[in-house]
Amino acid sequence: MKYFPLLWAGIWRKRSRAVLMLLQIIAAFLLFGLLQGLNSGVKQVIAKTHSDRLYIASSVSTGDSLPIGMLAKIRSLAGVVAVTPRTDFGGNYAKPNQFVPVVATDAATFARIYDDLKLSKGAVEQLRQIRSGGIAGVAVMKQYGWKVGDRVVLQTAIPRVDGSRDWAFDIVGTYDVVDDPVANANAIIANFDYLNQARFTDRDRTDLYVAKVPDASDAARVALEIDNAFANSDHETRTQSEGDLVEAQLQQTVDLNFIVHGIIGAVFFALLLATGALMMQSIREREAELAVLKAVGFGDSLVMALILAESIMLCVFAAACGLGIAASLLPLARNQIGIAHLPVDVLLLGLAFAVLLALLGGSAPALRGSRLQVVDALADR
Amino acid sequence: MSFLSQASMLTLTGLRGLPKRRGAALVTVVSVAAVVGVLASLLAIREGTSIFSPQAARTDELVVVGRGARNAFQSVLSRDAVLTVEGAPGVKHAPDGRPYAYAFSLVPVDAVKKNGKRGTVYLVGYSSGVDLVEPDVKPIAGRWYRPALHELMVSDPIRKMYKDMDVGSHIKLRGTDWTVVGVFSGSNTLGDSLLRADADTVMSAFGHNVYQQVNLVLDSSNSLSKFKSALNDNPAIAVDVKTVADDFAENFGQLNRLLDFVAYFVGGVMASGAIFGALNSLYASVDARRREIATLRAIGFNSGSIITSVLIEGLALAVPGALLGAAIAWLLFNGNVVSTGGLIFHLSVTGHVFIVAMVWALVIGLIGGSLPALRAARAPVATAMRAT
Repeated sequence: MKYFPLLWAGIWRKRSRAVLMLLQIIAAFLLFGLLQGLNSGVKQVIAKTHSDRLYIASSVSTGDSLPIGMLAKIRSLAGVVAVTPRTDFGGNYAKPNQFVPVVATDAATFARIYDDLKLSKGAVEQLRQIRSGGIAGVAVMKQYGWKVGDRVVLQTAIPRVDGSRDWAFDIVGTYDVVDDPVANANAIIANFDYLNQARFTDRDRTDLYVAKVPDASDAARVALEIDNAFANSDHETRTQSEGDLVEAQLQQTVDLNFIVHGIIGAVFFALLLATGALMMQSIREREAELAVLKAVGFGDSLVMALILAESIMLCVFAAACGLGIAASLLPLARNQIGIAHLPVDVLLLGLAFAVLLALLGGSAPALRGSRLQVVDALADR
Repeated sequence: MSFLSQASMLTLTGLRGLPKRRGAALVTVVSVAAVVGVLASLLAIREGTSIFSPQAARTDELVVVGRGARNAFQSVLSRDAVLTVEGAPGVKHAPDGRPYAYAFSLVPVDAVKKNGKRGTVYLVGYSSGVDLVEPDVKPIAGRWYRPALHELMVSDPIRKMYKDMDVGSHIKLRGTDWTVVGVFSGSNTLGDSLLRADADTVMSAFGHNVYQQVNLVLDSSNSLSKFKSALNDNPAIAVDVKTVADDFAENFGQLNRLLDFVAYFVGGVMASGAIFGALNSLYASVDARRREIATLRAIGFNSGSIITSVLIEGLALAVPGALLGAAIAWLLFNGNVVSTGGLIFHLSVTGHVFIVAMVWALVIGLIGGSLPALRAARAPVATAMRAT
């Protein structure tokens, strides 16, 4: 600790250079924090999913629907605790840009499978009695000022038998999501039967079945069993756990890992050269001073350690600043990626990178400093 | 001595000194190369998706979907509605009386890539008018599909990316065997992301009884209002009419804006880092020559020529960096075929990308040179002469 003033003075020996170098490192770690933060945020979302939920879709693609007649057969399979059809659609409320998602399903089973939903009291029973009922999320209730008992009309793309595309829902209760980074309570849960009986196209078909298995460890086995049960029929299935599904969806958008690693690689390569060159420059200018240190009794290895420590101090301080800015910027993207703060492992990884950078960039100058001959260095003057 | 000869002499001495400041100069070159390389790669993605941007769309082609549908996936058009649309006034007709219009029904289909991963492609069943609206679509291998036979054509990128997509291969979809009979090229816009087949065959195989979208060409651009009002006034159908450009803006606008944002944001942060690097390098260069510059000023060189020479030195470091970065991006990514969410496009490091990247590099060089240039020109001569 007693060397701290010496290190501090070394860093600020030339103020403009120190500031520019700090800024350069800050920019690099800001980018690292944001990109790596996004990347591991996505991974966290995947990890948080419930692996005891299975999504059964057509093997042709998730856009192809399945006949409703499969329900009984899936239910009868060993390992399936509960299963419900689920068709997601949605429509515009009052204005073209006010889209409200609708989940058409069997509410009682749905509530059993998604047991982390907080449903208002009696909502499921009410929905069973009122065919055109809907359980609305608290977020969407608040957004449009709906109250329980209201009748809400959505303009959808799904035609009804009567030719209209307007679907009305009587709000019978509310739901909320608890501790879910991605989902907002912004949808209406409605009766699958209501949709099914009144729709003009795709009658008696559902986009998906959602099933629950007793334990996440059974998921893979039961999924295979379901797919085998429908193999070689004209509606073969592909069953995936919630984690698989989310991962596939996210990875489909971009190969995030590749892009993030590519950019970070380029940034750090350039930064490594920059720190190395600047430290070298700084040491070269200070040869006389280092020689004086050695003349008054500082050993070779101590001089080397001091130079490395200076480099580490600079890099870690700047990295901490950059990561700090990234941490304060990331929450702005919460709605898109669903993470509220920079993951701790990204912070630690960033600081580890900073130390590595300092050691690599500082090694050549440190070596030069430690090998310095007092006589030669002082004679230069 | 004139301004020009002063500036060029100063620049030359500055550049001759570069080998002495190898480290700092190399840093600038590499940081500019990193910025340009990353920016050009990200812009290459954006350039690839520009085939989905409104500017790339044909201006004479219209899209008709079910009312309220944002895209073909949500849209439902009954056979009657399709007939009404195709028969509406204003639609261009061939000499034999066929309308320049086709309807399609599309099904997303999972396929296995050559690397074993699953991806989505779209199987699109076209009605007969497609040869009139899209005359450029031609088989480059094999032949056209025939109706009622479960035959399909694949695009060239799909053939290269996915397993079992060569002419003669069989794909099983919902219990039915489909044969790949041809490879097509020449389709505009989304065409590379598609498998093409006959509409009725696709619809019966997948149990659909409705189409999703009609594409058509009008006989003249003046007919648009006539065409629109004929459809809007018809109570039997509920459809939305839009141009292909509007359709692209609605469906891909967000993707394109996101890609733009990512490219320029990441590029911007990296560029600011590179500017600090360039500043450092040029400060070092100016500092090393303080006495020299002061001497020159004392014997009558003016500040303008000194500033110019430092700025030119900045540019001289940035340009090779930019060329290096752009070359790396071009070698690694140009022409790569990418598939995301069923859309297929080529990454392309185009002239436009190159120019944008060069401009950024020049700006980095100029900003990096400006402050050191001012310092060199402003330092009091006496102080600078005494400097060590």
